[in-house]
Amino acid sequence: MRNRLIFSAAAVVAMLAFSPAPRGQDAASPGSVPDISGVWLVEKFQPVLFPKGGAPLTPWAEMKLKATNPQTDDPNLACLPEGVPRFMISVPYPMEIVQGPRRVLIIHEGTSVLRQIHMGRQHPKDLDPTYAGDSVGKWEGDTLVVDSVGFNDKTWLDGGALPHTEALHVVERIRRRDHDTLVDEFTIDDPMAYTKPISAQQVYKLKPDWEIHEYVCEENNKYTYQKK
Amino acid sequence: MTALEEGEGIAMRNKPMGFPVTAVLLLLSFGASTYAHHGFVSWFDVTRTSTVKGTVTSFDWTNPHAYIYFDVKDEKGNIEKWSAELGALAMLARAGWRRDILKPGDEITAIGNPAKDGKPAIHLTKIVLANGQELSSAL
Repeated sequence: MRNRLIFSAAAVVAMLAFSPAPRGQDAASPGSVPDISGVWLVEKFQPVLFPKGGAPLTPWAEMKLKATNPQTDDPNLACLPEGVPRFMISVPYPMEIVQGPRRVLIIHEGTSVLRQIHMGRQHPKDLDPTYAGDSVGKWEGDTLVVDSVGFNDKTWLDGGALPHTEALHVVERIRRRDHDTLVDEFTIDDPMAYTKPISAQQVYKLKPDWEIHEYVCEENNKYTYQKK
Repeated sequence: MTALEEGEGIAMRNKPMGFPVTAVLLLLSFGASTYAHHGFVSWFDVTRTSTVKGTVTSFDWTNPHAYIYFDVKDEKGNIEKWSAELGALAMLARAGWRRDILKPGDEITAIGNPAKDGKPAIHLTKIVLANGQELSSAL
């Protein structure tokens, strides 16, 4: 039921995204900015951000990480969303970027969260923390710069259980390197969990013949989320 | 129906790999899956591979994983109930799978990572159908 609601919501949001922009709001037309729309798949699956270790953990994050078993405590075992930036980097399922004048939408096949990047507005004050957070975007030449805050602390940064707090701040620079290649450069900052910002990059390849399919994780999930 | 292929089937599940090079290759092959979706590494040994032959009893075409249930008969005719876990439906479909590709009675050869606890379960990496067609699983 939850997924049906999400996909229904996605359809509504998609219609809104392509509805004419009201006067006084973002009036950019899709043709005046680079086109990054399409179905994309990660070029290289990156399960962890620091495969050789060395994440700049604060004492709090180090303690949190030591108390976590990546193989049994993953919230995703309960079909909960991976969140940002994990689903953008560490999930080997495709995503579709739907590009409109007021919003850029990212529909990911392997997560239940529709990500909306709002163009031409600031972050609202007093955000209620969510899995997807609040993302705002602007174009700088050929690059879509996305600033995201307002995350809850119920997700990991990667498949290796790197923790974060509600202070998580993610900045992405997304550009189409060539027709078939999209690059997303991440700056992940959370002073409560990391002593310095983390830089990461993911490269996606265009899948022109693919469509995003339904993925109802709860349908027949036999795994147990042991960390409550 | 052969219960397992000599040298790489059930009998090998609890033995270390015979050749270090083979072990390294297997680790390289499956290492990328170590933190994959839905933590199957909790239940399956991704550093080892097994080959099991059996007869399909049912096929669950479901998310987040499809499952094949099959009977494996030993030399004395005893039947053991096995299951094979596959990937997500959309990725399976892109790899050539279809919901009706298997039916009860089909003979299969399942290749994949054995269960850590010794139970008759496998995380499928590849299947060989009775007509010789091979299909890879998906994450």
